[in-house]
Amino acid sequence: MAILKLQNVSLTYHSLLGETTALKNISFSVDEGEFIGIVGPSGCGKTTILSLISGLLKPSSGSILIDEEPVVKTSDKTGYMFQKDHLFEWRNIINNILLGLEIKKQKNGRIFAEELINKYGLTDFKKHYPSELSGGMRQRVALIRTLTLNPKILLLDEPFSALDYQTRLEVCDDVSNIIKQEKKTTILVTHDIAEAISLSDRILILSARPAVIKKIITVPFSKEKTLLKKREHKDFRVLFENIYQELKNEAR
Amino acid sequence: MKQDNHSLSHKKFLKKYKINQVLIFVAQLFLLIFILAGWELLTKYEIIDAFIFSSPSRIIKTIGTLYNSGDLFYHIQTTLLEALIGFLLATFLGILFAVVLWWNNALKKITDPYLVVLNSLPKIALGPILIVWFGANTNAIIAMAVLIVIIITILNMLNAYLLTDNDKILLLKSMGASKWQILTKLILPGAMPKFVNTLKINVGLTWVGVIMGEYLVSRAGLGYLIIYGGQVFKLDLVMTSTVILCSLAGLMYGLVGLIEKKLVKHY
Repeated sequence: MAILKLQNVSLTYHSLLGETTALKNISFSVDEGEFIGIVGPSGCGKTTILSLISGLLKPSSGSILIDEEPVVKTSDKTGYMFQKDHLFEWRNIINNILLGLEIKKQKNGRIFAEELINKYGLTDFKKHYPSELSGGMRQRVALIRTLTLNPKILLLDEPFSALDYQTRLEVCDDVSNIIKQEKKTTILVTHDIAEAISLSDRILILSARPAVIKKIITVPFSKEKTLLKKREHKDFRVLFENIYQELKNEAR
Repeated sequence: MKQDNHSLSHKKFLKKYKINQVLIFVAQLFLLIFILAGWELLTKYEIIDAFIFSSPSRIIKTIGTLYNSGDLFYHIQTTLLEALIGFLLATFLGILFAVVLWWNNALKKITDPYLVVLNSLPKIALGPILIVWFGANTNAIIAMAVLIVIIITILNMLNAYLLTDNDKILLLKSMGASKWQILTKLILPGAMPKFVNTLKINVGLTWVGVIMGEYLVSRAGLGYLIIYGGQVFKLDLVMTSTVILCSLAGLMYGLVGLIEKKLVKHY
């Protein structure tokens, strides 16, 4: 059952330098609980797709449906996570996590938030300030902040790329475990091929601008239990090479 | 990170740091004593003329005279009140305008050249106009202080608001935040360090405005005492007022420093 459908979505934007077509006839659908990775040459409009799904941008043509309902503005159905954690330095951890509820003026989400905080080991940090936390911990807080609003679809925009390599692997594991436990449908934009393969069920490869979908690849070993097992799978390299070649052709 | 059981070398480091702090304070104190003592001695042995340069002892005597005649607190109060009202009014209005300009992009673009011109205009040039408009009284003085402080407050704070990370704004928008919520949850608290900075600048500028205003119109206040003292060649009075002014400005700056500690603890 498809939770998200994009049908012939195009986006053109205007600047003084002229008209730019960012996306052209993008169509795909995502099933509930699926993890989709989007890769493509830099500047091709990967992030734009997330902005469209979240309702921050409106497509020039085509339609986007979540649960068969068209997306016209931002809503609770999607949760957006950015490259940086964007925790507010002047709020302690609990108040950062409750930010979304505060914006929505929802009082009753508090219990769910507390549940998430306890479940994912942030209880002791509730009164801490962001500057006292490590980069990995901060990104976890950012994820819990997003989950607190209980979105159906998580939109991750290169959420690990601001971290150093070691932390990156850890946080990648961490986030993927939490997402799996919460059974969220997820769309991840990344430029890291290995990351895309180890996290996704399917991978969308975009072309250079104006971006069209070049290929959709199903990851055959996506049901393996841990990320490590996936990374060590015998087909990993082949898949990696495939995607790498596709992107390389685009870069030219 | 707090740690109570420090190693020996760390204790040494802490001790050295403390000693260093004390030394700096002592040096600062000595510099003050050196200046005062030097000033006093130079005038006492008539190497410089006490009538022109005044001296610490003559300043203390002048303060005593002013106190006995009841003039001291009258003049301090006059100036301090003008400074406080000017400071608060200008800061409040400046931030209000900055918020309005942040809110309305068209208005920001339209007013931009006017703000630039007003900023580079020497406000003292508007003195005569202020006197005509507000009368030769306290209002004109406060208006002068406000005029000097408000423009730079608007420019500084607007700049801080515009520098807010766009992704943070998108994050709030993705949560469905209204413009008002973006303002109150992100823009204003995010610009807190810049706000405190602006307060510090404003303290100094307010005093410039108030004293300049008093030069122009007043019949009371420290600025008036300075001008009057200069005209009748009572340099003791000029120096005394200047010293009092220094203390008041220092005090106000210290107060802002306390506010800073409270407001920007976690930034």
